[in-house]
Amino acid sequence: MMDETLRIMIVDDELIVRESLYHWFKKSGHTVEAVSSGMEALDILEKKPFEVLFVDMKMPRMNGLELLKRVKEDYPDTIVIIITAYGSIETSVEAMKLGASDYLLKPFKPDQLALVLEKIMRERKLTSECHYVRGLLEEITRFDSMIGRSPPMAAVFELIPKVARSESSVLISGETGTGKELVAKAIHAESFRSKGPFIAMNCGALPDALLESELFGHQKGAFTGANQARKGFIEVASGGTLFLDEIGEISPKMQVDLLRVLEEKKIIRIGDREPIDVDFRLLSSTRRDLAEEVAAGRFREDLLYRINVITLHIPPLRERKEDIPLLVTHFLQKYSHETVKQVDRVAPEAMEFLKSCDWPGNVRELENTIERAVVLSKSRTLGVEDFSFIRPPLIRLGKGRTLKEIEKGYIQKTLEEQDWNITESAKILGVNRVTLHKMVNRYQLKRPS
Amino acid sequence: MTVKPLCIGLAPLGVVPEAALEGVAAFIRSRLDLEVRILPPFQNPAYAYDQKRGQYNAATILKAFNSMPFDDGLHKVIGLMSVDLFIPIFTHVLGEANEGGRFAIASLHRLGTTADRVPASMDQTIERLVKVAVHELGHLFDVGHCLNKRCLMHYSGNLADLDATSLDFCDYCAEFLAYAIQRERLSNP
Repeated sequence: MMDETLRIMIVDDELIVRESLYHWFKKSGHTVEAVSSGMEALDILEKKPFEVLFVDMKMPRMNGLELLKRVKEDYPDTIVIIITAYGSIETSVEAMKLGASDYLLKPFKPDQLALVLEKIMRERKLTSECHYVRGLLEEITRFDSMIGRSPPMAAVFELIPKVARSESSVLISGETGTGKELVAKAIHAESFRSKGPFIAMNCGALPDALLESELFGHQKGAFTGANQARKGFIEVASGGTLFLDEIGEISPKMQVDLLRVLEEKKIIRIGDREPIDVDFRLLSSTRRDLAEEVAAGRFREDLLYRINVITLHIPPLRERKEDIPLLVTHFLQKYSHETVKQVDRVAPEAMEFLKSCDWPGNVRELENTIERAVVLSKSRTLGVEDFSFIRPPLIRLGKGRTLKEIEKGYIQKTLEEQDWNITESAKILGVNRVTLHKMVNRYQLKRPS
Repeated sequence: MTVKPLCIGLAPLGVVPEAALEGVAAFIRSRLDLEVRILPPFQNPAYAYDQKRGQYNAATILKAFNSMPFDDGLHKVIGLMSVDLFIPIFTHVLGEANEGGRFAIASLHRLGTTADRVPASMDQTIERLVKVAVHELGHLFDVGHCLNKRCLMHYSGNLADLDATSLDFCDYCAEFLAYAIQRERLSNP
């Protein structure tokens, strides 16, 4: 049943008004708090949420309109009713423009106040129904927990339905924690195979022999401990989608076996001779550059062509930092709900801090960070101090850079910062001047002319 | 051990028709497990008159009740009057009480007309007063407003709402009130 009570705060510098309203609301079972100034109201709002604020227009220091503006900026869902004894059309229009839900002239008829509360209650019901429906829609439109409106993510979202409708193999590339499995699930959910199974397997987590048995299945007695026949994941995925996570980790032998399955659409269980027809769509993912792996002879080129008919690249979080506020809001909702803690905001400077981090563990790391901060926070708003457990990396390490390249870059950066003062730079780098000269020659570093 | 019923005092402030006092008393006696004593009339509460508004401040009257020499045997006292009442935020009130307190007031002033401003019958006026007085008495026993529009504890902002409530409590409020009366009876032997 819908809760019929509200969390109400009265903000009025007149004691008699605070008392009258307080008792009146209390009689209807609402949770009420009464304060005498706007600053007090903001302090309390920082700690706990209120659904409705009854705010007096004329108060010393911060007047009702100023408070209304602040509240609407920081807590847009909070309903503000302005009450005043000095009504004018100008101020009422101004209040409505700033987001006030109603404007009551003191003294008001008792049933006017009752009507305002009824209206709020009705709106709240509608809002919660709206949130529910919006939640359902979001579940569908944002492909599970993949969230983002940055251009790179928008491109991924646009590609998913198109890719899903084909039967081609898809290779999903991206760093760890970017959500490759979520993309695979979304492709499956959007595909004609969505009613079939979605089987995900992490190839990097299993030793070769076990991986073979898991993928192809085995007959009873095929090896020690095979007490009964068992279907492999490829067979189980028949009619659906098989997602092989970290496919770049499989051994050369497994690469050959998998290639054969993809070409013939048949498998043979270990210990058996009879081929079994299989019908699955392969999605795979990797954090490695498989072209490089092919060039190095560690990955079969023909298998790469088979699994890589379509490639989807999931950008790392550092390349789509504009998505961080959206992701943070989503994780805040998720964890304040799961932990039943009223933490629903991130201070602007904390958000800036989160945006400034590089997130090598990507969305997964961000999610873990928010969860930890919510659990440990004592306030409704997460501040910079709530993220003090994040240690900024000392040097930004580019992907795929060799140790020599990093060393060269760091020496160059230090020399430039010290205006090519060799003595100072050597001190910072922890080497003597002669060594630094040698390094400069070895890396052919030159002072810009 | 037998515990005596709690006694409610009805205090007329200024001129209040006898029938109105009797009507309120009869309802409380018959419907609730309470005794009622109609007190001798008190003066009109001139101290609570607000010149600007031409009305009587209900909060001021309730505060003044605290220093009035009511018999200790009266568990709660309801002041009944014929003047127009207000509290600072509202244009008017029909009655007023502090939840869980000892004193409440109810006024006949706005109860004597129909919605079309035609004089209401005496019976209808008294029935309305009973509803207001008993509603405020409910608050004295800590019963809050009820969402059931037919219940006596439903908040009535105007006469139409008041007329729409029945002369009875809903099951929940009746249960809650009976429990509160019993509890206070046992703690005031």
